[in-house]
Amino acid sequence: MDFLYSYIALAEIYVLLGLSTNLLVGIAGIFTVSQAAVFGVGAYIVAYCLMHDVMGFVPALLVAAAICVVLNVLVTLPSLRVSGDYFVVTSFGIQLLATAVFVNWTAGTGGANGLPGIPSPDVFGYQLESSHQLVLLTTVGSALGCLAFWLIMRAPFGRLLRAIREDELAVAAAGKGVLRAKVSAAALAGAFAGSAGGIYATFLSFVDPSSFDLDASILLLTMVVVGGARTLAGSVIGPFLLLALPQVLSLIDIPTSIAASARQLIYGVLLIAFMLFRPQGLAGEKL
Amino acid sequence: MLALQLLVNGLVTGCALGVVAISFGLIYATTKLFHVAHAGVYTLSGYLAWSLVGHGVPAIGAMVVAMAAAALLGGLIQGVLYAELERRRATHLVVLIASLGTLAVMQNIIAAVYTPNILQFPLPWSSRMVSLGAVRLTWTQILTVVLCLSAFAGIMWFSHRTILGKQIRAVASNPFLAEITRLRPQRIYVTVVAIGSAVVALPGILVPLDLGLQPYSGITPLLTATIAMIAGGIGSIGGSFLVAVGIAVLQNMSLLIMPGEWSIGVTFGIFIIFMLFRPTGLFKGR
Repeated sequence: MDFLYSYIALAEIYVLLGLSTNLLVGIAGIFTVSQAAVFGVGAYIVAYCLMHDVMGFVPALLVAAAICVVLNVLVTLPSLRVSGDYFVVTSFGIQLLATAVFVNWTAGTGGANGLPGIPSPDVFGYQLESSHQLVLLTTVGSALGCLAFWLIMRAPFGRLLRAIREDELAVAAAGKGVLRAKVSAAALAGAFAGSAGGIYATFLSFVDPSSFDLDASILLLTMVVVGGARTLAGSVIGPFLLLALPQVLSLIDIPTSIAASARQLIYGVLLIAFMLFRPQGLAGEKL
Repeated sequence: MLALQLLVNGLVTGCALGVVAISFGLIYATTKLFHVAHAGVYTLSGYLAWSLVGHGVPAIGAMVVAMAAAALLGGLIQGVLYAELERRRATHLVVLIASLGTLAVMQNIIAAVYTPNILQFPLPWSSRMVSLGAVRLTWTQILTVVLCLSAFAGIMWFSHRTILGKQIRAVASNPFLAEITRLRPQRIYVTVVAIGSAVVALPGILVPLDLGLQPYSGITPLLTATIAMIAGGIGSIGGSFLVAVGIAVLQNMSLLIMPGEWSIGVTFGIFIIFMLFRPTGLFKGR
């Protein structure tokens, strides 16, 4: 039973991340491979705050989300101002730089060994200890995320983002601020990824750089692409399906030494196959 | 003296990086695709050469075969995958994701076949030292400078003096107009990616000869090379090469004041400065 709980909780955390990636890739049409880095920043901030008793879980989560918003705005603003392909470089750059910081800044992040023993979260005075209490937390978190995503998509801002993806020039000609909308999308994505990171840190009570590297970003992109870009359903289906994949693989007899590469290999094949034959994913719209 | 040695090391690394930058620039300027999978071709060529050398093929032969294989692989990626996506009217974003998928596939096939550990070339001469005044160089470094500078000169000559090079530049500057004059852009794209892939195999073999092979190590040089390409001016072969050398020298000199783990920060810092103040690059092409 505990196993099922942890699968659901992890998938729900990835739903939040999927929403964040979907907002950038699917809705605003910005390619990104740095969402795992932002996720990591959120995780490390919350871990630090709880381990050093700086503040409680909820304020720490808000701080993490706010810092991730600022971070995403600071890095997207200059590159989006110039050209779309510059953001590809920025995105890879942030991811590699973040990995370097996570691995080498031993004082703050524990280096490659990570930070063990992160205390369990407290929500308005209640200490969440057992696994079903934690599932409750992730469920509430991801439900709030989904609600926010749904509301944003229905709002004028959501329509503006979709219009930009369809025809940037026409939107600019209609007098709308294209750059501002894109940067806002990036800021929102930062808030989603940052809070997902905070919940992840307390859920696992352990963080290390391997959860936030380029491979993790590629996994996120695969989730969105497989689930379906631009829709809420897509961002929910993708994480649940792809997180089940390692379990399926463990049924097949693959030597453990190549299990990790085999998994990544499948993600790569999925990316290519979906782009070729079904770019809208299982439950998405045209990418 | 350390500074001088670091300067020379930077110049050597810069030559290799410069060749990565011009190979990527050639592809990017012509096909307008952000060919991320180029990093996979770079890595794979090194592993191929390693296997061939391990089976007793002489180093020169291994290099030539690996370059040919890289050309074939690059041509296939463009001719099969990208052309098919183009036929399906895929957006830029879709092609980019497919390219990233291709990179993931290549890297993980390498990791599964060769293990993720560092592999060294079994060539004792490659690490033998030569002293030139106060500076010590390995034979690999000397070979890198010679071969990469020749590759640079060769590409300069090729793209400005040969018919094919001129056709490529014609397609790069205006594919529609080129098509009217009976050039076939899709065929030229395959040729360009094949040539770019063969060229990138050169640093793909020479760099690991010095530092060893790792399956996931291709993305950092590609990113650095892309930054050099942007900062040097897209379409400017000389500009990309010069900036690549400049970045590598700065990275090496930065070792004087900070540990090597942060060199990616230096590179990325250079990119942000360029993006803010000189987004079209130092030497703007066409």
